[in-house]
Amino acid sequence: MPERAASLPRRPRRPVSTGAAWAVRIGLFAFCAFPLYWMLVSSLKASHELLASPPTFWPHEWELRAYRKLFYETNFWTYMENTVIVAVLTTAIVITAGVIGAYSLTRYTFPCRTLIARVTLLAYMFPPIIMLVPLFLLAREFGLVNSLVGLALTYISFSLPYALWILRAFFQSIPIDLEHAALIDGANRAQALWYVVMPLALPGIIATAIFTFIVAWNDFLFALVLIGKDELKTIAIGINEFFHMAVVDWGLIMAAGVMVTIPALVFFVTIQRYLIAGWGTGGVKG
Amino acid sequence: MSVGADTLVLVPGRASRRRRESLIGIGLLLPSAALVLAFTIFPVAYNVWLGFYAKHSLRATSSWVGLGNYSQILTDPDFWRSVWLATVYAIGSTALQIVAGVAGALILHRRFAGCDFLRGVALFPYMIPTVIAVFVWRWLMNDLYGVIPYLLNMLRIPGMPEAWLTHTTIMWVLIVLSVWTFFPFVLVNVLARLQTIPLELYDAARVDGASAVRQFVHVTLPQLKNVLLIVLLLRGIWMFTKFDVPWLLGFGGGAGEAIRTLPVFTYQRSFTYYQAGMGAALSNVMLALLLMAVTVYFIAFPPEADDNDA
Repeated sequence: MPERAASLPRRPRRPVSTGAAWAVRIGLFAFCAFPLYWMLVSSLKASHELLASPPTFWPHEWELRAYRKLFYETNFWTYMENTVIVAVLTTAIVITAGVIGAYSLTRYTFPCRTLIARVTLLAYMFPPIIMLVPLFLLAREFGLVNSLVGLALTYISFSLPYALWILRAFFQSIPIDLEHAALIDGANRAQALWYVVMPLALPGIIATAIFTFIVAWNDFLFALVLIGKDELKTIAIGINEFFHMAVVDWGLIMAAGVMVTIPALVFFVTIQRYLIAGWGTGGVKG
Repeated sequence: MSVGADTLVLVPGRASRRRRESLIGIGLLLPSAALVLAFTIFPVAYNVWLGFYAKHSLRATSSWVGLGNYSQILTDPDFWRSVWLATVYAIGSTALQIVAGVAGALILHRRFAGCDFLRGVALFPYMIPTVIAVFVWRWLMNDLYGVIPYLLNMLRIPGMPEAWLTHTTIMWVLIVLSVWTFFPFVLVNVLARLQTIPLELYDAARVDGASAVRQFVHVTLPQLKNVLLIVLLLRGIWMFTKFDVPWLLGFGGGAGEAIRTLPVFTYQRSFTYYQAGMGAALSNVMLALLLMAVTVYFIAFPPEADDNDA
């Protein structure tokens, strides 16, 4: 799949670089980036400076106290590990089922196919809160409370319809003629899928995998009701725990924020173009 | 997309062969269908059934109360208050997200030095976990040490509140924080659509002497209509049913009550008062509202032949 930005026709007009244009660009940058900058400097300030009034925009004293506390006095790494386990498990199940399901929805005819696609779209809109009570009671019924597998299974309930919907759009955008050509050239169905469709669908699959991963990585609600044991907590509810300490340590919370944000940032910058492709195809088309 | 859904049949042929093909298709769909059925459809159906029972969240017993939960809900002023707060929150944050998202997309549409970098930065608030976003904003807006109240104070605007996480102002904080977190969703969808608008349309408008503003109103906006409608629908539903942002912003402070939206109310019924049946009924109310919104949407804007437009 060609990269979207590269295939764009060039704007005929020269790029706008007046003062006003730069002012709004800088405004957008400040709006998006300032809270993150503030999180970073707050995590590196000395305790007394953190609570100083007026606040310092560039710390006078740098300290790693908050990070030391985070790494040695909390279960941060356990939370991180649990989050990765749940997110990977969710993504693996959702992508495996979703890819073949979406392929089937776009390449085969059978009764109720359109109905199934519509139900998928509706399920994609379901907000997680609607599933709160039933999934909690079912998890208790099947002994899946305080279980990372149980948590991953609940994430399937709202990420699989979403994945199916996006992947279906991706598979629809791959011309069927390419597969016809492969079949005429003597490839069988599986070969056509593997050698012709998959390489073209890969950006979409990656984008969908990332979105699924993020759903599991970000979730707070289900982890809150399903996980009680500290050694099974994910990042979201683990950090929430820091708030219940006798004295709220803002430096510690900001340090945790930075530690969760940095891997996401690195990851995100490297795969940004897939994300944009995914978003463009997933939400809206035509 | 010029290819309609029904033309995507790979192997034409005789009826027996076609039947074999559809069996394979159903087989491939089976894992997803089973998972969606078990983990999405079944829980929703179970929830509808639960709404008719009085059930403790942790005990196994339950008793049939018919529409009792619903009549209790509809006469509870706290419920109506939570619906009102959720509505204010959904409308306020969705409207501002759309404004910010479209503005951001227009800023990032044209290429300039540092354009890719700024695109990355603009998407980032959507990527960081909600918990982090909310805690960063709680810190930014902290009543004693917050940097934003400090900066606002320097402007010396008369009537500007000193503290923001209070009953009267916390809804504003909730809305601004939500706009910050979720406007990239609007931005990306609008940006993707902007880039597919044929340039000839603008050329024609310019030949006719249209100003930049008129070009936006008469060329860009009509082209964005479909995207904006779907974004409005999705964001409206998702903001109305957002639990984690108001909960994380409000808990632990006395002002949480001022942002106890319907999802927070539902959570509290289910897990603070352990009234699972009541919680289920409240979820069903949200589901009904959602279905109504979707139905109205599809009646007002019928999907075209290709489902992708829906």
